[in-house]
Amino acid sequence: MTNLVVAAVPPRAQLRRLAPAMVSTIAMFAMVAVCASLQSDVLTVTGLTLILSATVPLVIAAQAQMMLMSVGDIDLGIGNFVGLVTVITATKLVSSPGTGMLFLVGLVAAYALLGALIHLRRVPSLIATLGASFVWLGLGLFVLPTPGGSTPTWLATFGSWAPAGFPAPLLPILVASALVWLLASRGSVGVRVRAFGSNPVALQRAGLSPLAARVVAYGVAGALGVLAGLLLASQTGGGDVSSASSYTLITVAAVILGGGSFRGGNAVPWGVAIGGVTLGLVSVVLSLLDVPSNMQSAVQGAIVLAVLAGRVVVGKVLR
Amino acid sequence: MHVDNLPVGPLAAPPSGDREPTGAQPVVTARQVTRTYGRTRALTGVDLEVRAGEVLGLVGHNGAGKSTLMRVLAGLEACDEGVVTVRGQEVPRDVRPGAAEFRAVRMAYQETSLCPDLTVAENIWISSRRCLPRLRWRRAASAAVQRRLDEMFPGHGVVPRDRVEALTLARRQMVEIARASLVDRLDLLILDEPTESLGPDAARSLYDHVRTLTARGTAVLLISHRIREVLSVADRVAVMRDGAVVADKPAAGLSEDDVLVLMGAEVAAPADPGPAPAAVPAGDRPVIAELRAASGHGLHDVSVRVGAGEVVGLAGLAGQGQQEVLERLWRPVRKDTTVLGSRAYVPGDRQRSGVLPLWSVAENLIVTAMRGLARYGVRRRAEEAAAVRSWVDRLAIRGGADAGMTELSGGNQQKVIVARAFASTADLVLLDDPFRGVDVHTKTDLYSLIREEAANGRSVVWHSSENAEMAHCDRVYVLRAGRVVAELAGEEISEERIIAVSFAESTEAPQ
Repeated sequence: MTNLVVAAVPPRAQLRRLAPAMVSTIAMFAMVAVCASLQSDVLTVTGLTLILSATVPLVIAAQAQMMLMSVGDIDLGIGNFVGLVTVITATKLVSSPGTGMLFLVGLVAAYALLGALIHLRRVPSLIATLGASFVWLGLGLFVLPTPGGSTPTWLATFGSWAPAGFPAPLLPILVASALVWLLASRGSVGVRVRAFGSNPVALQRAGLSPLAARVVAYGVAGALGVLAGLLLASQTGGGDVSSASSYTLITVAAVILGGGSFRGGNAVPWGVAIGGVTLGLVSVVLSLLDVPSNMQSAVQGAIVLAVLAGRVVVGKVLR
Repeated sequence: MHVDNLPVGPLAAPPSGDREPTGAQPVVTARQVTRTYGRTRALTGVDLEVRAGEVLGLVGHNGAGKSTLMRVLAGLEACDEGVVTVRGQEVPRDVRPGAAEFRAVRMAYQETSLCPDLTVAENIWISSRRCLPRLRWRRAASAAVQRRLDEMFPGHGVVPRDRVEALTLARRQMVEIARASLVDRLDLLILDEPTESLGPDAARSLYDHVRTLTARGTAVLLISHRIREVLSVADRVAVMRDGAVVADKPAAGLSEDDVLVLMGAEVAAPADPGPAPAAVPAGDRPVIAELRAASGHGLHDVSVRVGAGEVVGLAGLAGQGQQEVLERLWRPVRKDTTVLGSRAYVPGDRQRSGVLPLWSVAENLIVTAMRGLARYGVRRRAEEAAAVRSWVDRLAIRGGADAGMTELSGGNQQKVIVARAFASTADLVLLDDPFRGVDVHTKTDLYSLIREEAANGRSVVWHSSENAEMAHCDRVYVLRAGRVVAELAGEEISEERIIAVSFAESTEAPQ
């Protein structure tokens, strides 16, 4: 009898944990269904490629946001950071690939450094990343004051790659999410990072360095931010520092939709992928529904709130 | 793989010559160890030796220094003076968690040191990663913790894939103990109140396992306030009092009363009549707050009455339900609680929940009383300033009213927090152990303040972990495991009596 009870507990707990991502999954499929009912071509490979392509950089930037949220921090600079990466990609990476690569590596290092600074100086991450966001913006404007430039040919080729059998945007989404999953959910590095977000005292008592955990999380976030910027540049074909400024808050919403929390300790890469795609699809649905563009932001916000409310309701039911 | 080196059965001990259980050489020793936090001398020269293959019980009352000593012995903290040696090697001054010297010394914490968001297996990796393979560590950790839990707590019901968050308190404690014991070489296992949240069966199987550990030459340091349990398991008992080990005796032939006496209790006291306190009249004072047989949320059938102008103490070991009583009185939402009049609360952890660090002393002091002083919701600065001035003078708060709160010393900050509660018009003031780590002079000032305010008709409910403070109360309820085990009044209130009743297990039915 007790064994039965014992056996019944974990699945319910697990269910409760997976519930937010399930709600988002339902929302995602609902949106694809709405798109398909309005425009039947959506369900073809070309159609899916079109509606998914805008979500690719968003999903990867959301993975970066998730890394920081898994240690209990929030990144308010990711939008401008992705914008800065597109600018570097459109200028330096074209003119002198070596220097451009060096710049991008430097940006990742800057993120890791930011993490160290936040840890050692006990600056709230909100303030430090907000400050950093203006640095990214300023650097971007300095390098490329007006949108423009061009992307390296290899990147442009990847951007226009259209395989016959499946929608091309799925590949970077799945590969990036799988990598983050291996790193953050399966690997020992991820255990350190999540343990830091969950109970830093336990981490320290075990003789592990909380500083290292935070720096790793920030470094990975920086690398993912660079990847997101490269993919965005490959789609837009140029650089614009403010092209991704909306990402900052949308990525936070994507993490929450995917089952993450502000508290830290959780890594939900697959949930984030679903949350990011859901949020990306919202604008597609709204334009297919002919919602006036000046109303889109408000409606988008309402949909996010509805999905979050659904998450709360499901959480209550499962308790 | 290293994980297979983890000893499995009683015979799996590595047969090295110097680890004969009969050798009884010291594993960890402390000599004249002192440790000071600010003004508090937590350890005042401790001498202790833990020998291979023995169970050493460590007992002592609140603030006797047990926790600090354990942290020093486990290598989490360095000591100020004195010498700690592990297996004969002196430990350097700048020891930090994870130091190589302390790899074979492991501790199971009372409040557990698990990460709630991680799975059991991941938690095992955090603490035992050195004995796990780099690849497929998850499987190895799961197998190891499963096996150890099966050994220690048959029928535990923990699955290594479970997240710690989803486990019950008892299972978390089991995982914590298993976690501490999972290492390729274990010289000393420190168990801090291991059975506090375990059931009797689990406790029994834990102590059986402790026996097999010691048979292999591992030393076990057991900290518990269940004295009978310590006496039945330990080979030797060390008693701590005021930051030092005052007695170190073989457990055989030692009785519960002997230990209580060594801890500073009054001998005759354990023969206390029992939990049901005969209705001690609170004089002819009107009752302003009352708990009638309150149960749930950590309390069992607790009845507390507070008369007007009375100072009522809540004593006993830390965390036995005193905070819950205060909480009920602070938010009297249940039917079993009646509170007439307004309340003010003085939190114990001033850094976390007491101080408004960016505000000045005056603002910190007056914030509760502000509403009472205001007229039509508009603050009256002159009255506020006058009130602040009088309190600053009365308690001699250094720095004055305009000083920044964080510029003040801890004791003076505490004065402000206490004055905040008394400056309000509250009829009932709840004190949650507010004088921890406060210097003697401040304490004396605050004690007399409490008495004066009580004389003016205010009621005070005062939880303190320092039993000597209880002498300033009119009546004291001693709590243990969420029950009132004694009610002392007037002359009966003494440190010795309180220690005696808070440890006496005879009055408590085994659960």
